[in-house]
Amino acid sequence: MKNSSHLSDEALQSYLLKEIQDDSLIVEHLEACSKCQKRLEEYQVVIKNVQKIEPEGFTFDVSALVMNTVTVYEKRKSRRQEFAFWGVLILLVLGISFFSLPFLPAVFKLFFSGSGLITLLAIGVGLGVFLFLLTDIIRQNQVKEGKIFKNNLQPMS
Amino acid sequence: MNNESDHLSDKFIVANVLNGKIQDFALIVKGTEKLVTQIVKKMVFDEDDQKDLLQDIYLKAYQNLASFQFKSKLSTWVGNIAYNTTINHLQKKKIPIYDLETASGNASKETENPEVEAIQTEAVDILTVEIANLPPLYQTLITLYHLEELTNKEIAQITNLPEGTIKSYLFRARQILKEKINQHYKRNDEK
Repeated sequence: MKNSSHLSDEALQSYLLKEIQDDSLIVEHLEACSKCQKRLEEYQVVIKNVQKIEPEGFTFDVSALVMNTVTVYEKRKSRRQEFAFWGVLILLVLGISFFSLPFLPAVFKLFFSGSGLITLLAIGVGLGVFLFLLTDIIRQNQVKEGKIFKNNLQPMS
Repeated sequence: MNNESDHLSDKFIVANVLNGKIQDFALIVKGTEKLVTQIVKKMVFDEDDQKDLLQDIYLKAYQNLASFQFKSKLSTWVGNIAYNTTINHLQKKKIPIYDLETASGNASKETENPEVEAIQTEAVDILTVEIANLPPLYQTLITLYHLEELTNKEIAQITNLPEGTIKSYLFRARQILKEKINQHYKRNDEK
């Protein structure tokens, strides 16, 4: 209540927005009080016309702008992951090479002291493992590229 | 039923995006664009800033999509990101978000222009101008409640404000709008 004889603005708004379950007292007061009736009408004008306002949109295409940003982000992320993968691989190879240096003379000694068959077997196994890993890496990379770039990053129809 | 189907469709779209169907993120953008537009446009007026904010909001949503737990509607979650990002932007620029004194000052300055007054014959036009003169937070709340027709609970989820505070801000905003519209008609009657 605004004062003892009139309805408060809060009560009027709540009544208009049907937020009050039992509004019999408000209805009763409104029927008897022209001043509150007038104030209610003023709020009616506000609420009715606010709802009529057309929401403004942007002059640019939000979807195109956002999808472009997301695509660029995804490409960058993919490139970063690729760099990280090759970086780790190179570091791993260099690390293994560095730590295997002291053992190289012993390995060479094994090849040159043994028969030609053992040498061929060792080279063959090494080459086989290398080719298997290389093929797997290439295949995985192709699947990943296909998934990300060929199917998903085409413009929306 | 409608809410349930919205929820299922949200789950389906989110699962697709998380499984690498990036194109489906455009569906999320389409579904939330209107709400996000209202939040950003009511608080930030420079077009370049608006574009930066939109990109920032949706990139955050994209990056954090895996953490969305379907406790609310997807649109409410994106709306919350939009609201927080926009508020942070305003705070960085030291723009007051609920300073009513500044707002009422702006309003009187605006309506002193006789040309503007002549155009504002319709209540809708007057209210459009007067809403634009309200502080950013009040504008957003009025838009979300009356134009987007969100409930107080949904607005509370977006703005992280208690429902009581939202009700009180909305009440005050409507009161100001009623006063402004009365002032306008009184001035017109005196002429």
